[in-house]
Amino acid sequence: MKAKLAALPMSYRLAVTSRVLAAVFGGYLVAALASVTLTVWLPLNRAEAVVTGMTVSFLVYLVAVLWCFACRSAWSAWVGLLVPSVIMATVSGVARGLGYA
Amino acid sequence: MKEGFRQAMAWLHTWAGLLFGWLLFAIFLTGTLAYFKDETNHWMQPEIPARALNAEASLTLAQHYLQQHAPDASRWIIGLPDARDPGLKVRWQQSAAKPGERGQFTSKILDAQTGAELQLRESMGGEFFYRFHFQLQMPYPWGRWLSTIAAMVMFVALISGIITHKKIFKDFFTFRPRKGQRSWLDGHNALGVLVLPFHLMITYSSLVIFMSMVMPASILASYGTNVRAFYDEVFPASNVPEKANQAAALAPMAPLLGKAREQWSGGEAGWVSVNNPGDANASVVVSRSGSDRVVHDFGSAVTFNGVSGQILAASPQQPLAMAIAGGFYGLHMGHFAGPVLRWLYFIVGLAGTAMIGTGLVIWLGKRQLKHARSGVMPFELRLVEVLNIASMAGLVGAVAVFFWANRLLPVSLAGRADWEINAFFMAWGLSVVHAVLRPGRKAWIEQLALAAALFAALPVLNGLTTPYHLGVTLIQGDWALAGFDLTCLATGLFLTWAAWKMWRAGATARLKKTPRETARPITLEQGAN
Amino acid sequence: MLLALLLCYAGFTALCLAMPRHHDELLGGKPSRRRRRGLVLAGWLLLGLSLWAAVSSKDWGLGLVDWFAVLMVSALALVLLLPYRPRLALALAGVSLLGSPVAAWAMN
Repeated sequence: MKAKLAALPMSYRLAVTSRVLAAVFGGYLVAALASVTLTVWLPLNRAEAVVTGMTVSFLVYLVAVLWCFACRSAWSAWVGLLVPSVIMATVSGVARGLGYA
Repeated sequence: MKEGFRQAMAWLHTWAGLLFGWLLFAIFLTGTLAYFKDETNHWMQPEIPARALNAEASLTLAQHYLQQHAPDASRWIIGLPDARDPGLKVRWQQSAAKPGERGQFTSKILDAQTGAELQLRESMGGEFFYRFHFQLQMPYPWGRWLSTIAAMVMFVALISGIITHKKIFKDFFTFRPRKGQRSWLDGHNALGVLVLPFHLMITYSSLVIFMSMVMPASILASYGTNVRAFYDEVFPASNVPEKANQAAALAPMAPLLGKAREQWSGGEAGWVSVNNPGDANASVVVSRSGSDRVVHDFGSAVTFNGVSGQILAASPQQPLAMAIAGGFYGLHMGHFAGPVLRWLYFIVGLAGTAMIGTGLVIWLGKRQLKHARSGVMPFELRLVEVLNIASMAGLVGAVAVFFWANRLLPVSLAGRADWEINAFFMAWGLSVVHAVLRPGRKAWIEQLALAAALFAALPVLNGLTTPYHLGVTLIQGDWALAGFDLTCLATGLFLTWAAWKMWRAGATARLKKTPRETARPITLEQGAN
Repeated sequence: MLLALLLCYAGFTALCLAMPRHHDELLGGKPSRRRRRGLVLAGWLLLGLSLWAAVSSKDWGLGLVDWFAVLMVSALALVLLLPYRPRLALALAGVSLLGSPVAAWAMN
């Protein structure tokens, strides 16, 4: 194992670390933003929308984590998480601005 | 990470599974044991007699007891006996000395038929396994966070495992024993696929149970700093009237149970709490037990005026979103399960535990093959081996030690309940030391054999130290106690078989200098790495 | 719950026999196309019936939980029995089929 690990190039190790960080923290960010966006846009009363958003967020987290390890490069892992994050942040921000929440 | 979606998922499955496997094994095993929490409690505190159930009579006894022993308390909480938990539990909270402070709680357990206070050995009982499986014996909230993170990793490992397993339907009924690594993989796949509905339910529901702790963004976005308001809306607590500071006798509470049942179309009461007993504004909250429905509803209660017995409020129907979350909670806990379904829960829980265990064994076995010839194991593999042994065989042995401690520690020992838990962790710690000192297979065999002996001897120890042995419990038909002893016996036999298998596999491996498996490592479909 | 369990076990055995490899192991020889189709149909029908049996004796919530439980446990039992006691596995399926009308009658 050690010999094999040592044989792995530094760039590979950095890429794996980057993917893991993207999956754990980026994935959490996407999941949290998804729960907020759902809460803001669902036509339910406040408490129900919050509970629904939280319940669904773990599925989003799951997909985000799978994406981070399935995509072609560590860069695309980050891009694939940050783009939807920005979109969801904008969408829920707009809803806030319009006075939905 | 090599190319290809399936390979990427195999990589993820392998490493996520390895890093959290030991912790998940412990969580799954103790969680599975927690399905028999009440039965374990009963065995560990056998002084509580099982009586015929009569909620009204028990409630009256509890009311008498509390009126005598805690007339000035600010709150009484009464837990009614049920088929699994025979004790009548009373708890009261002293009025706070200063406003703003929380009064002290006192708990007692009464005989459900006579109302007499029971003298019990101190013990956490099955509650220990239940608490451990989501708090991990860590200070709040770290254990809950860690176990929820482990649940998320489990979720990822499950889904990536399904994607990895390409012949999921073709291999649906396949298990080929006595083929070394192949059999472990077959077993891992079969346990994963056949019990998949349970795995998905238990993993996802554990995330839902702690969702407001780990995923609070939407609460914060909608409620800002007023998080309290969220909980008030989700769990609509009935408004309890303020203390009037005017003495008035509390009405007999037994008739309130019937009124509550009418509200629930037959559902049974589980808990009764009384606010400000003896005050003119006393109120009685009768909470529904979760044992007759799948969907759990925390707030399902009827509130009565404590003096007149009039209904003040009944909690409304759950909205759909909360019912879904409550459904996951209820499915995870299985409070509604009768004896047969409870056993099935236990069996599939063990299957989940075994799936994790086989996964850990496969990870190591595959890598060990490469070093089988040289006989020298690199440090990483040795570390995994030690952790495998201690986290599986060691934990099972520690569970047995926990039960032994319950029967052997003197009843008068101060902090007895804590010493039972200390014994558990000391045994677990010793298993790590033992696994470090002994070669891998020997450590497995010795720890499994020791655990087997401890479990198989438990019914004997029980017979020697208490009057509640199998000869009595079987005849009386106390199936909780008898079932516990018999299950320990069966566990002992199973572990003996496992130790024997290990021993025999080791003996044949020594006989054939070059076993076929090591000469020709099979390619495993999960072996992307 | 017993009826659901019996039907589930019989259903899974039929589905298992519909696979050529298992048919060969258990009964010897590959099944004909028609036989395979019949077994698959019978298997799914039995599983469907067991769902009905589980749900009809209780409400939907508890019935579904029961059904999933017997589904998992019967499949586990079958897969565990197949390599060690294949004849017993088959015999149990036969007993399940014969016993299910009795269980159904006892249920009512």
